[in-house]
Amino acid sequence: MNAAGAVWEGLTRGWGVDHPAVLALLLLAVLPLLATPFRRRGIAAASLIPDDPLSRLLGAGLRLAGIVAMVALVLGLAGLHRREQSVEREGTGAHLVLLLDRSSSMDNSFAGRAPTGDQESKSAAAKRLLAEFVARRPHDRIAVAAFSTSPMPVLPLTDHHEVVDAAIDAIDRPGLAFTDVGRGLALAFSSFADDTDEASRAVLLVSDGAALIDRRVQEALRDAAARTPLHLYWLFLRTRGAQGIYDVPASGDDSAQANPERHLHLFLQSLGLPYRAFEATSPEAVAQAISEIDRQETRPIRYAERIPRRDLARPAFLIAALAVALLLAAKLAERQLRPAGRRLAGATPLPAADLRRAA
Amino acid sequence: MRAAASVGGAGGYGLGHRRDWRFWLLLAALLAILAALFAPRIVQTGTVRDVLVVIDVTGSMNVRDALSEGRPATRLAAAKGAARDILAGLPCGSRFGLAIFTERRSFLLFEPAEVCGNFAAIAGSIDALDWRMAWEGDSYVGRGVHSGIDLAAGLKADLIFMTDGHEAPPLPGGALPSFDGKPGEVAGLLVGIGGADPSPIPKFDQDGREVGFYEEQDVPQENRMGPPPEDAASRAGWNPRNAPWGGEAATGTEHLSAMREEHLRALAAQTGLGFVALGAGGGLLAAVEADTRPRPVEMRVDTAAIPAALALFCLALLFGLGATTSRRPDRLPTR
Repeated sequence: MNAAGAVWEGLTRGWGVDHPAVLALLLLAVLPLLATPFRRRGIAAASLIPDDPLSRLLGAGLRLAGIVAMVALVLGLAGLHRREQSVEREGTGAHLVLLLDRSSSMDNSFAGRAPTGDQESKSAAAKRLLAEFVARRPHDRIAVAAFSTSPMPVLPLTDHHEVVDAAIDAIDRPGLAFTDVGRGLALAFSSFADDTDEASRAVLLVSDGAALIDRRVQEALRDAAARTPLHLYWLFLRTRGAQGIYDVPASGDDSAQANPERHLHLFLQSLGLPYRAFEATSPEAVAQAISEIDRQETRPIRYAERIPRRDLARPAFLIAALAVALLLAAKLAERQLRPAGRRLAGATPLPAADLRRAA
Repeated sequence: MRAAASVGGAGGYGLGHRRDWRFWLLLAALLAILAALFAPRIVQTGTVRDVLVVIDVTGSMNVRDALSEGRPATRLAAAKGAARDILAGLPCGSRFGLAIFTERRSFLLFEPAEVCGNFAAIAGSIDALDWRMAWEGDSYVGRGVHSGIDLAAGLKADLIFMTDGHEAPPLPGGALPSFDGKPGEVAGLLVGIGGADPSPIPKFDQDGREVGFYEEQDVPQENRMGPPPEDAASRAGWNPRNAPWGGEAATGTEHLSAMREEHLRALAAQTGLGFVALGAGGGLLAAVEADTRPRPVEMRVDTAAIPAALALFCLALLFGLGATTSRRPDRLPTR
């Protein structure tokens, strides 16, 4: 039973029909075995007919044509198609988690004010540039996660970029209060938990600030970093006048509370992962950083290319048309067996060999 | 019967002999198939829907008084199941966006995206919803619905808001917050989730472990923001300056949660949305269809099936009649 199921599965994997119920009409295809489209006439004695393999072959062929015509019509009506297939190809790309800051400070401009006129808010700049970034990387599998006061998984790893675009479009909506980077990173790392593919993995953290990471979350992150090898990029959208990643404050002030950005940077460096930080103070700098990341993530990846579904109804109808045309040609060549007395005047008697020229 | 016997014939030599019904049926079948091959695709107008599903992830959604696949489950699990049903029930070309609600806002996760191509990603996103995504413990459902309407209006989508209607803290005086928009401008519905009987709300510690249920004194039983109610003067211990709400702690049943159908119906009436209670059989998809606006799209419909069916009918008639009429020739061609 299982073996039969496996065979059936193998046969039907790449193929499908839209209306399986119509396939019941396939029963009609036995009718050509029972009847022919030709006129039936009795003959006086079977021995009149010489044993003729060619005629028998032709007869069988015509029955087959009838069956083929019926089967092809039913399959065409049922909507036979070759299913959407995916072919594995090699390209360059990565499995990527976009970890996006949705705190309300992202709604301000790079000057730290509510954007006015021709200014762009940090979230709007990030949205525009990330959308371009995703469009340039067609083979990536991308997941999206957001964090603010709490981490939020938005999309699992997917190669449908339309929905990734929809998630990126959502980031310039008003954000929430806080910036919990630590738990956001933990969520991003866990996105790869059931990803067994060999592809290169990367987390792209986009934020405009950092916060203290709880010691327990730090430990969890170190564990996760040891378990999941990945590349980490931090795109820091620095507000003008705010503290930078690389600013070393005067001695005495160098605490994680006073300089969370610098200490997040130190912490990420200490994870032992390939890590790069980009500090961007304007939309142009963000664009540069993103193209740099684009350049870095060019390891080979196996990706699935989709071959769209192919409808096979028309080819099926074409086969049916050929089969019926064959039957019709045979029908046109049909000669009527008439009693000798009713032979048309002027017709010449046939040579015996013509008996064989059945169709 | 051998084909040669029926096909072969020495008699009617020449082309001028009669065509029988079999010939005409074959010809009709061939013409019908040719028609099917060249049948045009006609453009028909179908309808799809654009929806924004907002799911309440507040604490009261953890109450286990809902059903998911026939088994008792938390309200959140039931809401996720309902969202998946809606996702699966929408015709291809529809768009589905997802947002979560806590505090007083609907927070957009992703904008509406086409449902068929992105099915796996959207279903995975629904599965990942969790009460831990909530960023605050408050649950101003009324304002959440209002912000959901704003969100849906900006996205040109219809709103499907899934909630149990439990306001925490309770509304002052039980009055709905005022609605700025125009009722009915955004179509959609509220989906009420949960049972009618008050049930205890699970309580979690800071690591997310369940540590029992909320008690009466754990939650505010009365909203003491804004002016006190008019009957406050009759309460025990009332003092206009020191105890404007009365001298005793409020008591009540706010620590228990039931689906607040009346509240949700009032909210639906205020905003011009529909209302359906989840769990009434297959009523959800019908309600979604009734309360959301269809968007017409052009769909190409293949007309080949009609002539092809006619061809099949002709062939079936031809072979069927041939098979059912007597197999033996009625008479020998002798005279």
